[in-house]
Amino acid sequence: MAGTTGISTHTSPNGAWRITTRKLPILKADPIEALSNDIGIPIPEMIFGDNFVSVTHIPSQWTLEFNVRDALDRVSKTEQGMLQVAVAEEWKKERAHQEEVKQVVKPFDWSYSTDYCGTTHAEKGGEWRDAVGEKEVVRTDLLARQDPIQFFDAVDLYEDELADNGIALLNIKVRMMPERLLLLSRFFLRLDGVVIRIRDTRVYVEHAEKKVVRQYTAKEEEYDVVQEKLRGMRENAPEAFRDANKLAPMLRTIEDRTEVFEVS
Amino acid sequence: MSDLDKAIAQLRACRPIPEIQVRELCYKARELLIEEGNVVSVDAPVTICGDIHGQFHDLMELFRVGGDVPDTNYLFMGDFVDRGFYSLESFLLLLCLKVRYPDRITLIRGNHESRQITTVYGFYDECLRKYGSANVWRYCCDVFDYLALGALVMGAGHDLAPIDAPFADPSQSNTDADDVEIELLNSQGQILSRFPRNRGGTQDTSQLSNTPSSPSQTKEQTPSRNGAPGTGATSTSGGSANNSGGAVLCVHGGLSPLIDSIDKIRLLDRKQEVPHEGAMCDLLWSDPDEIDGWGLSPRGAGFLFGADIVDCFNRKNDLSLICRAHQLVMEGFKEMFSSTIVTVWSAPNYCYRCGNVAAILELSEDGANAGYAPRSNGDMNRSNGVQSEKEDKRPGPGRRYRVFDAAPQDSRGMPAKKPVADYFL
Repeated sequence: MAGTTGISTHTSPNGAWRITTRKLPILKADPIEALSNDIGIPIPEMIFGDNFVSVTHIPSQWTLEFNVRDALDRVSKTEQGMLQVAVAEEWKKERAHQEEVKQVVKPFDWSYSTDYCGTTHAEKGGEWRDAVGEKEVVRTDLLARQDPIQFFDAVDLYEDELADNGIALLNIKVRMMPERLLLLSRFFLRLDGVVIRIRDTRVYVEHAEKKVVRQYTAKEEEYDVVQEKLRGMRENAPEAFRDANKLAPMLRTIEDRTEVFEVS
Repeated sequence: MSDLDKAIAQLRACRPIPEIQVRELCYKARELLIEEGNVVSVDAPVTICGDIHGQFHDLMELFRVGGDVPDTNYLFMGDFVDRGFYSLESFLLLLCLKVRYPDRITLIRGNHESRQITTVYGFYDECLRKYGSANVWRYCCDVFDYLALGALVMGAGHDLAPIDAPFADPSQSNTDADDVEIELLNSQGQILSRFPRNRGGTQDTSQLSNTPSSPSQTKEQTPSRNGAPGTGATSTSGGSANNSGGAVLCVHGGLSPLIDSIDKIRLLDRKQEVPHEGAMCDLLWSDPDEIDGWGLSPRGAGFLFGADIVDCFNRKNDLSLICRAHQLVMEGFKEMFSSTIVTVWSAPNYCYRCGNVAAILELSEDGANAGYAPRSNGDMNRSNGVQSEKEDKRPGPGRRYRVFDAAPQDSRGMPAKKPVADYFL
């Protein structure tokens, strides 16, 4: 879908940085088929294929974009890392006698777990490099200040209910304050009875600097372990299990890396 | 005004009824449902609806578009609860209508009508929030166990009953009303498009996914004699000797490898929580897919079934169509496998954010359009027609889809259109 429908945009007070978002309904049947053929796996149930979020450095036209196609393209297209729902063992035992239906159709990572960190468009070249020192981090101290939020948006890229075995959701939040901006792309997976997984990409910019800091953090924990912790905290488990913010501190960190891109 | 009518009025205003009334209602409903077989027989005309998911205001919109109970005969294919904010009011209203007009509304079970699923996906929490205890949830779950697993629509007409409706685009008003297989209407009751049956020629095997609002579609709405591309207006109507559209099986999910005849569904013991395995589970959970035969879902549980399975099942059981819900479709309905199976989805703007339209499917009564029916002398009853067509695939019934958008959002408890800014980190 072309045009400006669903687009919101906001530029930083110093004119250097721009956030753009687009929010449109889920895709229709034909674009879904085209997308599925393009990336080679079935498409999540709720596919906001026209949605995106981007951060642009206006002087150099450098852009980091988060779009659905590239996010889904990072999902495993083979049996590798493929999860099984909680009742799978029981289910298969029960069906063992049914010869004709042992064949798994098109194996792929149906949990839609992605390690997507955005798509970089750097017309003037340059590359992401590892962050060095204590200065090149996402400055939570500065970001925690209650500065006025001049622009805020939350954009869903895709969601799947995993045939009622939990939820897989990729969504992006973005906010711009007078002096800085923060983008959080979060993949959240709750596979009931099996696993909780959160993969966050944070993009942080000080408007006065020509530098983009990007942190990728992958966290994971077994469902039962989290359930135990919630019980200990006397939390309402069903509600907490829907709230990624509540679950995040209870998970083990699997991967954590910070990179920097210096724009010209 | 009887207590029941009062309860209906109260629920129509989206106000829950007292716990004691819920208990009584559920008791009455159970007595009624226990008498129904696993597969309920329903006579056309009937309006078939898919998932509702607690979107109460959209259910009201559905009744506005499709007509009210008891004027319209309804069949709901399950998933009344969970996800939306008004599962309680939606389900109780449908249940009240069922008890009040048992012959005008049929409710079958969806996979969300289960204790386990409702504890995870919202209905349990909603009951707790609205009543302060889980009693109402328990009463409702007891009703769930008695819901039928499927319905068999009999006497659906091969031809659509003519309606006096204008075209949304007046330039099309000369479109031939003869031998219409599919008619698409908007929520104002205007005809968006008509698709005649194919007169022989090539069969379009692509999926039907009508996009009534898309500009590309308008080109296809000319009264062509071939089914428009992608519409599934595919059945041949050649030798049909009567106006019967054949029987239509309605289930929430789909078929099961353990079930090769409708009689086998009738033999199941349904009065229980939806099990994790077995035929009952499959009927509520399985999905059609572009595969050959049966397949196991990559998730490790759940079946997928291909066009050959549907074709075989329909032939064996003398069905012209399987109607199911269970999967979200942007266009509100999606016909697959040369229109032998259709998904109907009735929750517009699903979860208040998908932006999809919803649809309901109307099947006309056999003979309702006698003027157009290609009958031959003395060959009018259904069983003769069955005999003569045994070898052939049954031509599907005429199908009228009404598509509608979400009701204007009510401010109470609905998520705001604009997200609320927060200091996320």
